[in-house]
Amino acid sequence: MSPHESPHEVALTVIGTPRWSLEPDPRTPPGDPATLLTINDDGVITAFSGKVEYGQGIRNGFAMAIADELDVAVDSVRMILGDTNLVPQDRGTTGSASTRTVGIQLRRAAATARLTLIDLAATRLEVGASSLKTLAGRVVSEDGSHCVEYADLLSGQMLSVNIPDLVEVKAVDEFQLMGRPARRIDAISRVTGGARYAQDVVVPGMLYGKILRPPSYGAKLVQVDTARAEQVSGVVSVVKDGDFVGVVADREDAAEYAVEAIRARWDENRDTVSDWNIPALLKERAEEPTTLREDGDLSSAFFSAARVFENTYYVPYVSNAQMEPSASVAQWDDNHLTVWCAHRGPFAERDNLAAIFGLDTSAVRVITAEIGGSFGTKTPTVSHEAARLAKAVNAPVRVSYDRAEEFGWSTVRPAATFEVKSAVDAGGKIVAWDYTAFHAGENAFRGQRGADTPYDVDNVRIAVAASESPLQSGSYRSLGGATNHFAREVHMDEIAIGLGLDPLEFRLRNLSHARLRACLVAASKTFGWASREKKPGVGFGLAIGYDAGSFTAQCVEVLVENREARVIRVMVGFDCGLVVNPDGARNQIEGSIVMGMGTALWEAVEFDGGRVLNAGFARYRVPRITDTPEIEVVFTGDDDMPSSGAGEPGIVPIAAAIANAVRDATGTAIEELPIVPRL
Amino acid sequence: MHLKVNDESLEVAVDAERTLLSVLRHELGLMGTKYGCGEGNCGACTVLIDGEATRSCITPVTSAGGREITTIEGLANGDELHPVQEAFVEHTAFQCAYCTSGFIMSSAALLDRNPSPSDAQIQSALSGHICRCGAYGRILKAVKSASGEGGAE
Ligand code: FES
Ligand code: FES
Repeated sequence: MSPHESPHEVALTVIGTPRWSLEPDPRTPPGDPATLLTINDDGVITAFSGKVEYGQGIRNGFAMAIADELDVAVDSVRMILGDTNLVPQDRGTTGSASTRTVGIQLRRAAATARLTLIDLAATRLEVGASSLKTLAGRVVSEDGSHCVEYADLLSGQMLSVNIPDLVEVKAVDEFQLMGRPARRIDAISRVTGGARYAQDVVVPGMLYGKILRPPSYGAKLVQVDTARAEQVSGVVSVVKDGDFVGVVADREDAAEYAVEAIRARWDENRDTVSDWNIPALLKERAEEPTTLREDGDLSSAFFSAARVFENTYYVPYVSNAQMEPSASVAQWDDNHLTVWCAHRGPFAERDNLAAIFGLDTSAVRVITAEIGGSFGTKTPTVSHEAARLAKAVNAPVRVSYDRAEEFGWSTVRPAATFEVKSAVDAGGKIVAWDYTAFHAGENAFRGQRGADTPYDVDNVRIAVAASESPLQSGSYRSLGGATNHFAREVHMDEIAIGLGLDPLEFRLRNLSHARLRACLVAASKTFGWASREKKPGVGFGLAIGYDAGSFTAQCVEVLVENREARVIRVMVGFDCGLVVNPDGARNQIEGSIVMGMGTALWEAVEFDGGRVLNAGFARYRVPRITDTPEIEVVFTGDDDMPSSGAGEPGIVPIAAAIANAVRDATGTAIEELPIVPRL
Repeated sequence: MHLKVNDESLEVAVDAERTLLSVLRHELGLMGTKYGCGEGNCGACTVLIDGEATRSCITPVTSAGGREITTIEGLANGDELHPVQEAFVEHTAFQCAYCTSGFIMSSAALLDRNPSPSDAQIQSALSGHICRCGAYGRILKAVKSASGEGGAE
């Protein structure tokens, strides 16, 4: 619902510049002032954010925060998300940063609106503002003698206020909604089929596009014959532009038939890398590693240590495989381009499209629909493809990927190889830690996340290298966080077992980080780690993790039978500071664990010479309802700490915790994922 | 041909080889039924045909002719949500909710057949569905609470 469709007029507008913390932060780049919040003369509040909803419940989280600051019911708040013509500039919805960043500026905007309403009431009632407060959509006097509704105060007004530099937001104990379980405000549309995803966007006169895909990555088009495709009934046009060949038709099926009718010859770049030989090639084909941290004196620490441990670990490419395949609708009006898509960074996508088509950014509007899962990036090229076809046929065009395209042409989580060498003293304290990771993909930043060790160690070197990637690497939940954690936490068990120490005891001996310790203690206690009972086939494992400003520990029980591993239960300690919406956070953590369980047990993209070999759910096994373990989450954070991410940290330790549990059950070390094919 | 969708009788002119999913979404504008894989492997496209949970992505539209088709849009009774829908809201048994229509349709069919299913029966009825957001624990609880066991948590 756009505020412009409302028969009611905007009576109060709150304007602010980007701000990601309570106090002004010199590191925040200056941004243009923009409308953050409006209130109509009927009291309906509309708030604007460049963040997008991909299932994490952000619309609900923002709405609750605003409702709390303004003392109104949550359903009087509307959220406009991710429309570049309506919302303030934004860096994109990544890194679980939304609640801790944008949330605060929206709260400040709402607090500003609240103060304005109190001022209006003070003038109207001719009393001092300090004798007034807000309650349930009204301004009331402390002694109860006056009471006036927001709508009443705003009728006939046309006010615009800027957020002052310092504006007080509410303290935690004043919240009515935040911090309590609540139904999501978008729940009804989600259970009645009303939510509109990019796959569902239809605009008048829209046609359907389908792209001719090469047989493998890097293949070059040599020859193409589209005569048969042009004859398929319903085909409007076959678009050829270099290697780019696409069909536009008046129905999706017609476009699909037509693409299949195209005859093409390709020159394939027959790279011999496959999922079999890539573990070693990652190191061979890597750039010089970047050293992220170097402390102490590694060589003398290794020389004088009581025990040294050394091993190599590997995680394969995995697919985001979100349920909604990528889709985009593009429409040109003269030289203006409008795109409806599922991009997590609508402004970045706007700028990207403007650059591709040589347009001013003001000539491109990106509107984000509901996103049917993302976990990182959806296919980055889909809007570009839709816009290219739409331009060629001079009509709006939708491009929707099918599942095979999504598996084959979307991005994947980078495969990575890790070399870890560690040393301990006679007391079981880690004295040296030498860690080098080789992550596929040119984006070195991804692989750096989570590479550093949170354990106490004086002599340490952490290095990460980007390595040539035969597949298209992209963003996946926690980026390199989950893969780096796998290597580190599996190695921690290797040391513990080598020393004959309990994995919990060994970690606690080497961990002074208070928040991580609290998570680990809480998880192991709820789990009953100390009293766990060894039975045939049953294994127990644990791991800790940090990501997106949050901390977690997870204890896992598995059952291994007939070369199959089942995760029975997972107990989680989780610290994300102030928990804005506990049920929403739990939902995210449970989902991260289920997803991470897939990467631990089954998931791997199989490929050979640039061809993805298992591009479908029949051959790419993801977790199902029959695999679901019992999951319990204990929040250990402090309400006075700012909220940090809950969407990603849950995934970082789980694969290692499961691997450690499987090792406990079988006695065989797990050095590679996925586990099941190796059992 | 003649289709009966959500208690409405409709005449549609379509090619015989089209899938029911394609006709529902593109001809009838019923976008609540989702495409997830087109191969019968994910359950996102599930609708009821004569009360039976059916993957519309692999169902030729011709085979649905004259039979009662129910989509997620037709499950509620006016403003009154179906008990399974109600339970999904109550338990927030979704995140992105792209899979939700399919899960709800299969669950509704299950409860129709077996009003008090066991956990294992619910899991097996829903084992053909994928929720990549991993809301499975909540989905199980929701279906349980909508069943004869309702509230007995
Ligand atoms: S779309 Fe029909 S089962 Fe996946
Ligand atoms: S809620 Fe996103 S796939 Fe199920």
